[in-house]
Amino acid sequence: MKMKKMLSILLAAALTVSVAACGGGSDDTKAPADSNGSGNAGTSDQEKPADSGDEENSGGDAAAADKIIIFQSKVEIQDQLEDCAEAFTEETGIEVEIWGTTGDGFLQELKTKLANNQGPTIFNQAGGAEIDQLQGYCADLTGLDFLDQFAPGVLDDSTIDGKNLGIPYTVEGFGLVYNKNLCDASTLKSTDDFINLIKEQKAAGVEGFELSSEDYFLIGHIMNTPFALQDDPAKFIADLEAGSVKLADNDIFKEFADMMVAIRENCQNPLEQNYDGEVGDLATGKAAMIHQGNWCAGMFTDYEFTNAGLAPLPLAGNDKLAVAVPSYWSINNTATPEEQEAGKQFLKWLYTSETGKSYLYSQFGFIPLITGDTSDSLDVLSADVQKYVADGKTIGWPNRLWPASAVNVYFAPLTQEFFTTEMSAAEFLEALDNAYAEAVANQG
Amino acid sequence: MKKTRSIIANIVLILLCILWLFPVYIIVVNAFKNRAELYENILAFPKNFSFKYYAEAMDKMEILNALKNSLIVTIISIAIIIVLASMCAWMLARKDNKLSKIIFSVFVATMLIPFQTLMMPLMQVLGFGRDTLHLPVVNTLGGLIFCYIGFGASMSVFLFHGFVKSIPVALEEAATIDGCTKFGVFWRIVFPMLKPVTMTVIILDVIWIWNDYLLPSLVLSSKANRTIPLSTANFFGQFTIQWNLAMAGLTLTIIPVIIFYLCAQKYIIKGVAAGAVK
Amino acid sequence: MKARRKKDAAWYCLFVLPLVAVFTIIVIIPFFIGIGYSFFKWDGLPINPKVFVGISNYTRLFSDSRFMTSAVHTIIFTVIAVLLINILGLTFAMIVTSRLKTRNVARTMLFMPYLIGGLILGYIWKFILGDGLKSLGEAFGMENVFFNWLIDKNMALVALIIVAAWQMAGYIMIIYITGIQGIPDDVIEAASVDGAGFWQTLFRIKFPLIMPSFTICLFMTLSNCFKIFDTNLSLTGGGPNNATEMFAMNIYNEIFKLNNYGYGQAKAILFFIVVAAITLVQVSITKKKEVAM
Repeated sequence: MKMKKMLSILLAAALTVSVAACGGGSDDTKAPADSNGSGNAGTSDQEKPADSGDEENSGGDAAAADKIIIFQSKVEIQDQLEDCAEAFTEETGIEVEIWGTTGDGFLQELKTKLANNQGPTIFNQAGGAEIDQLQGYCADLTGLDFLDQFAPGVLDDSTIDGKNLGIPYTVEGFGLVYNKNLCDASTLKSTDDFINLIKEQKAAGVEGFELSSEDYFLIGHIMNTPFALQDDPAKFIADLEAGSVKLADNDIFKEFADMMVAIRENCQNPLEQNYDGEVGDLATGKAAMIHQGNWCAGMFTDYEFTNAGLAPLPLAGNDKLAVAVPSYWSINNTATPEEQEAGKQFLKWLYTSETGKSYLYSQFGFIPLITGDTSDSLDVLSADVQKYVADGKTIGWPNRLWPASAVNVYFAPLTQEFFTTEMSAAEFLEALDNAYAEAVANQG
Repeated sequence: MKKTRSIIANIVLILLCILWLFPVYIIVVNAFKNRAELYENILAFPKNFSFKYYAEAMDKMEILNALKNSLIVTIISIAIIIVLASMCAWMLARKDNKLSKIIFSVFVATMLIPFQTLMMPLMQVLGFGRDTLHLPVVNTLGGLIFCYIGFGASMSVFLFHGFVKSIPVALEEAATIDGCTKFGVFWRIVFPMLKPVTMTVIILDVIWIWNDYLLPSLVLSSKANRTIPLSTANFFGQFTIQWNLAMAGLTLTIIPVIIFYLCAQKYIIKGVAAGAVK
Repeated sequence: MKARRKKDAAWYCLFVLPLVAVFTIIVIIPFFIGIGYSFFKWDGLPINPKVFVGISNYTRLFSDSRFMTSAVHTIIFTVIAVLLINILGLTFAMIVTSRLKTRNVARTMLFMPYLIGGLILGYIWKFILGDGLKSLGEAFGMENVFFNWLIDKNMALVALIIVAAWQMAGYIMIIYITGIQGIPDDVIEAASVDGAGFWQTLFRIKFPLIMPSFTICLFMTLSNCFKIFDTNLSLTGGGPNNATEMFAMNIYNEIFKLNNYGYGQAKAILFFIVVAAITLVQVSITKKKEVAM
């Protein structure tokens, strides 16, 4: 008998522990929101978005939800975006919650959340293969009244079948980032000029040009140029996928492969370099040029280095910078209509209101895309991008039309092989053709 | 002679350990450098020991809130894992019939599933729990704890099971003859004897749950719920890392675990015998 | 008698069921859903079409040379890493259970690497095994031994093994310590009274008695090494030229980079069957050698 009594006590205790534990866990998720006092009290609302309508609306459109969620991958603007969201809440009463992530983990987390109906209101995608996959979740933004204020062309890549599915962040450009104390890459007119310059620099004991080991910085960006220089890049890629053209037969690609061989022979092995290191080399005068984009200017600050410029890669006489929209804001069409409406209001506010623009230009450091706007708070490299855009001297980023993740899964391994062996220019192109075909085949 | 040999052995051991921990040195010193200094020499001693990056990291991580969430999740998950897994493992080991063998093998086998392949279906199951059963399992610490119990089950059962087999049945039989129920036998006689392995399970689970990034990143979304590893996510860009903040954040993350380990380790050292005597 | 059996069954359920229930919901059900998806061609987003393709995802596996290569890498890596980790872990465990005064400090220090989680360790080791080794080689004129290992096909695998061993040896040490502590002192004393030397005590007495720990440690290291992902991603990223791409990374790339969710699941299922077969054989072999006390 005694044992039985003890048993029931123990059992009851065990049950209470587990129940309290579970209950405690979920209760506590609300507690921090309240005690923070930072206006996060709506934590539990997002679990059942439909219920959130009964809260009093302190402002804004009657049909807009009082809370939206933004999930985006550019961690460099995360802090500024949070401040910006607070300013938006102050002006409109719509609360904005920003979810955090690592730059690498974003896409996988986004997909998992979208797939299970746990997505944010606003997310970002990079166009190209990414928008193809995610377009089922992107709300049609065509009717928004501020789209006509964008500069011509910047909405093209996010417009599919006549519907606009994303608002561009800004434009970014990549090419030769150079140290003006050592050389002037903007005067290079041809591949030969480029090769001569790196040889000269080498003789002077400076690294003439550096690539680095990250997949995009190794091959993804630099190989964009020969694609973009084709008469019709999109058609060229379609033909390549269909197998009717070969890189190995293309003159621009032959020149590109020769350039890569020259880089292998005259510059340090990119596999032994990383992004941090190459920027450091450039900023401290150990390297004259690196293949990078205007985003790397943010890293110059700690070196107190400003004397840099951005110039086109002079492959086949190219004098145009590779400029495009790196990312688009999209609205999740599985969110409630009220949330979607509030999301649209946020985007409109961000790109058209005084406060929104001030965050966009001076805090995020974005190059303006709204017609008539210019920004005077751009870093040195972004200023160059803005200049090339103004002169109309740009080529696009057809590398986004490559099969999804082909750079990571196919081209980068192949380039690693190229930089660690004596592979010839012709072999390199042949291997690229094969890798491309494999990537297309595996696309399903 | 013997004494000098022992001194030498001690010194060699400590030197080897210091070498072993060399990577930790890199973490510690680089939490004090800016990008330029780090580029210049990753191994060098920092020019000045200003804790400004620590302060900045703590501020951006909202460390108190993150610490609280991590503590809640870790403590509750592990308490439940220990209670349920030790009971389950003991029963499986003692009632060694076919069913037990199957259940045990399933537990063991699932330890071999790569987590990445369970992610999507798991979120689907949780989504079902939220949408159809209206259970607060998504974006709540409770839901995360529930997941940890499920994922922690295999290894804990496996460790407990192995240990239960090594302790004599005689005591349990004696207690049963005295009229003790299974429950009584387990909690009064068996569980105290499991102490060393319980501590092992606790330590391994604490480290796993405390440092885990992937599972919370899927289950939790809102800022208020962030655990410590989630709160450092913003330091990791796609191509570069804010090294000083990331290293400071990492140091802040592991200090609690080290303290915990130092407090807990003496219990591992006490043998089985100590438990059995009581 | 019947009542007794019923009661026993009730006890059984009470002890076993709660955990099994949670475990089923969190692990087993998702696992079976995953098996289901392996028969579809699908990118993982419900809004996009799922096409039933039968077992073609599985037949395709055997002609996927890259997957097969990654299988070979994983097996080589696992065999060497498991041996190294267990030898280190056991050695550490014996050192820190010895009479040395510094044993407590040493134990904490040796265990430390396991306390540090996350990707960042991979980046730090990347520096040590890349730039670090290179400058070491230049300084001592041994460039053919010490160079950037991460850009060499074979040495990159060695690098991965070293980092995995560094991280896991302390973890395995803890489990061996539990086993060694479990050996009754009188058994060891009796052996030394009988005149057994160090090696004899080790092989004849200690090892047989800690057989359960061997089972556990081998299993843990096997499963952890087969599943290695974080270190793989942050240290070598699979390079150079896929020379260090392991199973888990190959599967991850298939699912999240190439968006072939169904095919990735099929890979995972095959992987699971192979690994389960190997480890269950291992467990049953070592289990047989366990001695009842």
